[in-house]
Amino acid sequence: MTTVATSAPRRSSGQLGRRVRIVTGVAVTLLFLFPVFWMVLTSFKHQVDIFTSPPKFFFTPTISTYVEYFRRADIERRLINTVIVAAGSGLLSIVVGTMAGYALARIRIRGAATFGVLILLSRGVPPIALAVPMFLVARQLGLTDKHITLILAYSTFLIPYVMWLMRSFFLSLPRELEESAMIDGCSRYGAFFKIIMPISLPGLISTLIFSMILAWEELLFALVLTNRVASTIPVAIAGIAGDTINGANWGALTAVGTITVVPVVIFALLVQKWLIQGLADGATKG
Amino acid sequence: MTRWSFMMPSIVLLLVTLAYPIFYTIDISFSTFDLSTFGADERVGWANYEEVLNDYRFWDALKVTLVYLVIALPLQVALGFAIAFLINAEWGGRGMVRALFIIPMVVAPVVAGGIWRMILDPLWGLMNYALQGIGIGPLDWFGDANLAMAAVIIIDTWRWTPFIVLIATAALLALPRDVFEAAKIDGANWWSTLWSIALPLLIPIITATFVIRWLGAVKMFDIVLAATYGGPGKATNVLNLFIYEEAFRSLRFAESSAMAVIVLVLTMVLTGIFLYGSRKLEERF
Repeated sequence: MTTVATSAPRRSSGQLGRRVRIVTGVAVTLLFLFPVFWMVLTSFKHQVDIFTSPPKFFFTPTISTYVEYFRRADIERRLINTVIVAAGSGLLSIVVGTMAGYALARIRIRGAATFGVLILLSRGVPPIALAVPMFLVARQLGLTDKHITLILAYSTFLIPYVMWLMRSFFLSLPRELEESAMIDGCSRYGAFFKIIMPISLPGLISTLIFSMILAWEELLFALVLTNRVASTIPVAIAGIAGDTINGANWGALTAVGTITVVPVVIFALLVQKWLIQGLADGATKG
Repeated sequence: MTRWSFMMPSIVLLLVTLAYPIFYTIDISFSTFDLSTFGADERVGWANYEEVLNDYRFWDALKVTLVYLVIALPLQVALGFAIAFLINAEWGGRGMVRALFIIPMVVAPVVAGGIWRMILDPLWGLMNYALQGIGIGPLDWFGDANLAMAAVIIIDTWRWTPFIVLIATAALLALPRDVFEAAKIDGANWWSTLWSIALPLLIPIITATFVIRWLGAVKMFDIVLAATYGGPGKATNVLNLFIYEEAFRSLRFAESSAMAVIVLVLTMVLTGIFLYGSRKLEERF
């Protein structure tokens, strides 16, 4: 991909056409970034600077919303919960899903293909169909409002996701890699852990990070399966946005929103090259 | 047995967390629900399904969902590829522009719904202020049924198009260059190059993108919940939100399970068809 990207400019598109593309491209990009910028900006406003017409771009910044709201809404605990759940479900799914993805790509077993199709179809399962029984079962077993419940719930969509991404990743590796190792006396496990794992690291890390992001921003299961102890950040945001009695508290909304988005953006930008590659592969080789 | 051992952990986990809840839902959907024991009570056959299918609110929610899907998906795929074409123009900042497109993609949907609700606010929102500048409005984004649907689609498109852009950029870069050079030499114009060379080459990836987006779009919930909560009236009440309300606010677990099963079957069948169709298309091109 990178070699194509850096090759000589395409002669077919004229200089003017290229300039128009660049300028509109940048304009569209800025347009797409604007809402995020506006959110961060608003989070540093005093209440009086938020509700103005025309909207204010220049004002005296303050962190009062952060300080005030965080104390009130237990944001700290929610942050910790969200980290625990995202890391837990991400790690669980990456281990389990990678192994299954490897099996689907490499090991011939009867029934595996059917299982693979089922898994792919399961990515179409609307979470609401799972939320109702999960809630009922969790309630019966006394598992509501626990981290482990959310971790397991998230694995329902993360495992299939990891499985398919990693399967396509493994399919792109040459078979000879493990075959020669296995001829040299390595077991299937040995080949998997010693040969395949190390070279798959970039794919693994980007898939892991993306899985954690998916868990980080999940709302429905968190809404249904937790109430106070294990509740996550998205639930708090839904609560602020849905406050029909007092009207949405925009300061709180943008402050919590910023806290949710900034770490994820940093993470995503750090691994952006792998992320884009993984996305492209997942789409083309799925 | 080492062969199966790679699969076993995921099979076991998914049986417990995915298959079991699905069967449990099916079980409840054929029973009455006892709120005192919080479990399935008597078997009632298809009664819950009949009730759901006779409930006009279910059909309304289904219609809302379909309108959203039919407008949003083609819009996002087309827009995604168009933007990918724009930002693929070669210059020093191309890599950075592409990286920046990751940002909207990792904004939690519930946050996206929330901040757009603020931007689209009829009174203080930035959008109406900007529109006023060009002589439009003020628009009551969340008070008018059609505008509210438009708002939901705008938010969803903002959140999801970057994802398509990133896939499309890679796809466009992977197009074989010599074919285009040859077309150029043969005197093909811009339109016919796009229509008879680029598009056929891109069909497999476009369908794949569509399927991936479909898988996400059928889960539409967060954005609607944060931005409109299904309103005004029930104008943006997508099925997932309707089922959520029926189950967890009205505590009608039996009926909502029946709805969940209907949605499950519908999406699985359509997903199957789309997957099959995209495979077929891939073979043809």
